[in-house]
Amino acid sequence: MPDWRALVTERLGVLDLHRVQRHEIIEELACHLEDFYRCQRAQGFSESVATERALAEVADWQELAHKISVAQHEEENVNSRTKSFWLPGLVNLAASMVWLMILQLTIGHVRMQWVHNHVLIATYVAWLGAQPLCGALGAYMSRRAGGQRRSRLAAGLFPSIALLVVFFWIAVIALFVERNHFVLDHPLYFTMVVFPWVILPAAALLVGALPFLKTPKIQEA
Amino acid sequence: MIGSGIKRGTAELAILSVLEESPLHGYEMARRIEQQTKGALRFTLAALYPMLYRMEQRGWIRGAWETSSNGRRRRCYRITSVGKKKLSPLRKEWGELFDALRLLTKVTHA
Repeated sequence: MPDWRALVTERLGVLDLHRVQRHEIIEELACHLEDFYRCQRAQGFSESVATERALAEVADWQELAHKISVAQHEEENVNSRTKSFWLPGLVNLAASMVWLMILQLTIGHVRMQWVHNHVLIATYVAWLGAQPLCGALGAYMSRRAGGQRRSRLAAGLFPSIALLVVFFWIAVIALFVERNHFVLDHPLYFTMVVFPWVILPAAALLVGALPFLKTPKIQEA
Repeated sequence: MIGSGIKRGTAELAILSVLEESPLHGYEMARRIEQQTKGALRFTLAALYPMLYRMEQRGWIRGAWETSSNGRRRRCYRITSVGKKKLSPLRKEWGELFDALRLLTKVTHA
């Protein structure tokens, strides 16, 4: 009887899958071919004919390998993105915003005098000071879910990304829909808002996320 | 020529239907489908396994390695509760489609 495992391994070639997963698939396909071969032999076919008929079960091994890889990754991709990017990112954003809300309720409202460098607002500084923790939380959760470095970085910077998107749409609506006079007359003021609410928090978030951007040793092995 | 969507739909229905009866490994599943449809539906290895893996990823079926009495290890598939929920609307949809096609072919042959 042919060595079905060797035949399948050779013909299937490279599978874009984890080693254990690949081994199990080869084992399973080899079992199927062996059962098929035994059945053909039981029906009275010669060894060579039975082998030929078993191998004819797969017309194109490369296509089969591709289909298996796609099937294995289909749902995985969606789940993995949710676990390694959206969930950590949203937790990060929630933590950042809840902390700001708590500070606003307890210390006071952040005023925009900050941009004039007149007053260093305690609330803002306290919020900014906590951003490395939020960034670390997002990047840590992403790394724990097996996120790639890009996902970990995006999850760590998620609050800044979200605020940038919000400011972009506010600017678009203010400029082109509302024709807001303040924004039209003082575009620099409006642009400067991005610095304390997007750029500085992004830097703080990045500080917290940095330790989790390194590839863990367990993955390198 | 039957479209890939229709082929996939019928394949999913066939697999879920036989697994509803009992857990099966891949080869036995293909044989059972062929026998029960009197040879009208036949799954080759190349058609069956990508479909099984896709359905497993979706949570409709679950595969687990089991050792049979003769000591051979095989991956045995079972239908999950998600798969059972999927099966009844699939049956309904395909029943309606076949009824519609039956009506249509009667009209055109008249």
